[in-house]
Amino acid sequence: MAQRLKPVDVVTIGVGLTGSLTALELAKTGLKVVGLERGAPRDTVPDFQSPAIHDELRFSIRKAMMQDNVKEAVTFRNSADQTALPLRRWGSFLPGTGLGGSFVHWNGQTFRFQVADFIYRTHIEQRYGKKFLDACGPDLTIQDWGVTYAELEPYYDRFEYLLGTSGKAGNIKGQIQPGGNPFEAPRAREYPTPPMKETYFGALFRKGASDLGYHPYPQPSANLSQPYTNPEGLALQQCVFCGFCERYACEHYAKASPQTVILPVLLEKPNYELRTNCQVLRINLDSTGKKATGVTYVDAAGTEYEQPADLVLITAFPLNNVRMLLLSGIGKPYDPKTGEGVVGRNYTYQTVGGPTVFMDESININPFMASGANGTMIDDFSGDNFDHSQLGFVGGQYVGAIMTNGRPIEFHPTPPGTPPWGLEWKQAVARHYNHTVLIQQHGTSTASRLNYLSLDPTYRDAWGLPLLRMTFDFPDNDIRMSQYIADKVVEIGRAMGGTTVARGGTKRPYNATVYQSTHNTGGAVMGDDPGTSVVNRYLQCWDVSNVFSIGGSAFPQNGTYNYTGTIGAMTYWALDAIKNKYLKSPGPLVQA
Amino acid sequence: MTRKRLVRSAVAAMLVAGLGSAPIGVAHTQSGPPRPDVKRGAVIVTQGTARGAPACAQCHAFNGASDGSGAFPRLAEQSSYYLSKQIRAFISGDRVNAVMSPIAEALSSDDIADVSAYYAAVSAPFPPLPAADAALVKRGEELAKVGSAAKDIPACDNCHGPGGAGEPPAIPYLAGQYGRYIAFELHMWQRGFRKSSPEAMAQVAKRLDDQDIAAIAAYYQQVGSGADAVASH
Repeated sequence: MAQRLKPVDVVTIGVGLTGSLTALELAKTGLKVVGLERGAPRDTVPDFQSPAIHDELRFSIRKAMMQDNVKEAVTFRNSADQTALPLRRWGSFLPGTGLGGSFVHWNGQTFRFQVADFIYRTHIEQRYGKKFLDACGPDLTIQDWGVTYAELEPYYDRFEYLLGTSGKAGNIKGQIQPGGNPFEAPRAREYPTPPMKETYFGALFRKGASDLGYHPYPQPSANLSQPYTNPEGLALQQCVFCGFCERYACEHYAKASPQTVILPVLLEKPNYELRTNCQVLRINLDSTGKKATGVTYVDAAGTEYEQPADLVLITAFPLNNVRMLLLSGIGKPYDPKTGEGVVGRNYTYQTVGGPTVFMDESININPFMASGANGTMIDDFSGDNFDHSQLGFVGGQYVGAIMTNGRPIEFHPTPPGTPPWGLEWKQAVARHYNHTVLIQQHGTSTASRLNYLSLDPTYRDAWGLPLLRMTFDFPDNDIRMSQYIADKVVEIGRAMGGTTVARGGTKRPYNATVYQSTHNTGGAVMGDDPGTSVVNRYLQCWDVSNVFSIGGSAFPQNGTYNYTGTIGAMTYWALDAIKNKYLKSPGPLVQA
Repeated sequence: MTRKRLVRSAVAAMLVAGLGSAPIGVAHTQSGPPRPDVKRGAVIVTQGTARGAPACAQCHAFNGASDGSGAFPRLAEQSSYYLSKQIRAFISGDRVNAVMSPIAEALSSDDIADVSAYYAAVSAPFPPLPAADAALVKRGEELAKVGSAAKDIPACDNCHGPGGAGEPPAIPYLAGQYGRYIAFELHMWQRGFRKSSPEAMAQVAKRLDDQDIAAIAAYYQQVGSGADAVASH
C-alpha cells in the first residue's frame, strides 16, 4: 500500500529541461512544487569534472548518462506486422536520465523552427494545392500545431536569453542581417552573445557553399562564445573547444544546461522540493477519469508513495511523456487500423546523415578541437525554403559542416572500399583522421499513420509495467527528400576541395541500432482538434485538464531543426497560459 | 624483421632523435640552420644577446629550474609554444613585469623561438622546498581536482591536465611550479594586470579568494617534487 504524502500544488514528472523550467516559473508564483526525478542528483562540481568526464568508453560507448535500459527499455519494430523487441543497448537515440535529463548531454545546437513549420498543412496546401500532399504519400498525417511562430517568438527570445545562445541574427523584424541566416524566421533582436569562432572545416564549407550560390551562416550554439550572465543571474563561461559535448556534461560551465542556467536558482526556493531516484509509476485519476489527483512513485529504497497534487506536469523525455499518458489511461490510445485514438499517434523522428568529404593531406582539420554546435551551415534546403512543386515530396534539411568531436574511439572516417579492420584499415585511419570533413544533413520527419507509439504487449520494466513500443520506418516521402538533397550536398563537398566525397542521405529501413538523433517527437501532439491531438495549444490534456504534457512529444511532426529551442519556447508559452489563465480559473483553457 | 628493415629502422630512429627538439609543425627551410635552433638558444641562455638581453640563466638557471625563491617560474620542459607565447605577451603588454618586459623587448623573434625551444628540451630536478601546511595542500588538491560547486569553479586539472601535468602545447604544466609564482600570477589575473587568457584564467581567478589561491599554489608546488605522495594518499 502506497504511503500517502501531504498534498502539494504542483508535481513535475522528470527534472530535465522542461521539468526544471516549469518548476522555476511556478515556484516563483509561490506554489509548492515537487520535482520527481528518476535518476541521480548531479552537478558540474564534482560530477562533471575532468579527467573522469572525458571517459569516452564510459559515456560514448557505454552511454553512462542514458536511461538505464536494463530497468526500462523501449521495444522496437519497423512495421505493425513485425514483433517488437526491446532495445537492450541504446543506438539510434539516447534518452538521458538523472537530474537535468537529456539537457545535460546535448550538443547545444539551439534553433528556432520556421514560420511555415507551425502551419504546415495549411502552408503546403496553399502553396502547392490540396492534392499535392496525397501525391507525396497517401499515409501522411501532417497537421498544423495550433500555435503560430508569431505567438512563440517572445518565448523563443526568452529561452535564448536564458541560455545565452551564441549566434548571428539573419532577420530582425523582417530586416535581413548580413552574416546571419537570411532564411530564418523574424526575431525581435540579436542573439545574446556573438557566434562562436569559425572552424577551419567551417571556413572550407563556407567557401564551397558560397561558390555554389548558397547562404552560409554560423550555427547557433548554447556552448558560449564569451562569458554571459543570464536573466536569472547565473553566469556561464566561454567554451574551450574540448570536444566533449554530446553524450557528456560540460565541466567548464560553458554549456547551457539545467545545472548552469536554471537549477542553482530553483534549488534555493524554499517552496521547491527535488526528490531524486524517484520513479513515477502513474498519474492517479479520480472516479470520473477527468481529474488527476496526483502521482504514485517508488523511491530508491523501493517504497511506494502517493503524492497528491492539484496540477501534474509530465516533463519527461518525449517518449516517456507518451508512455506516462498510456500507463495512466489519459487520452484514447491510437489505433493504426482505424486511425482513431490520439495517444501515440504521429510519432516522428529526424532525417539525418550527410556525406563524408575526404581532403588532401595538406589540409589539417584538427577535428578534436571542437564544440557541439560550432558548425557553418546553410538553410537553402531547409523546410519549404525551395520550390517543391515538381519534386513530389515535402520537407527539407539543413546542411552544414558540423563536427562535434574527433574522439578516438568514435571518429575514424575511411573512404568507401576501405576494409573494416586490419592493417589497411589502420593505415587509412591514420591517413584520413586529420583530413576529413563530415557534412550533416538534418531535417524534417513527416508524420505517417503507420508510425506510432503504444504499450508493448509482452515486455515489462523493472516495476512490472509495459514498456513503450515504437513502430517506425521513414515514409517514402522522407527518403526522396533526403536523397534529393544528398545529390546537392555532394556538389558542396566537391566545391570544398574534397578529393573523395562519400554520398549521404537517409535510407530504409530505419535502423534503431545506429546513432542518428535524439529528437524523438510526437505521440502526444498539440492541436486545435481533440480528434487529432492529445493536448491543446497550451499543452493541456484535452481529457484531464489538470495534466499538461510538455516537450517534444507535442510536435505534430518534426521540423528541419534540432528541437531543444522549440521545446524551450513551447514550455514558456505553456507556462504563461498556466500562470495567467489556468491558475486563476483551473479548468480547460480551450473548449473542445 | 629482415636485416634491411632493421637498418632502415635504425636510420629512422637516428633521424627522429636528431629532430627530437624541434616542435611538430615547424617548417624547415631548404637552406640555413634549422629553426628553432636549440644550440643557439643555449648560447642566449648562457650569455645573453648583443641587443642587450641578459643571460636567461641568471634567474631561470641553465636547467630551467630557476632559483627556488619562487620569484621566477620553473621553465624546464614547459612547451616551447607556450614559452614563446609568454615572451611575446611581455612584448605586447598582455603580461607586464618590470624585470621581464624589457628583457623580452630585447629578444628578436628568432631569439624567442630558440630560447623557448631550449628550455622546452631541458629537464631539471625539483629543489627541496619547505613543506606547506597539510590542510592547505589538501584544500588546494580539492580545488585542483574537483573545483568548487559553491563558487562555480571548475577543476584546474580540467585544462592543466591530470595532476597539473599540462596539456601541451597551449596549456602549461603546474605540477612542481613554484607556489609563489602561481599565487602571484593568479593575483595578476584577478586584478587585471595579466591580460592573456581573458576568457578562461581571468574568469576563474576572479572567483578565487586569497585563501583559495594560497591553497592551489601550495598544492601544485609539491606535486611531482616527491612531496605529493604524502598529500595524495
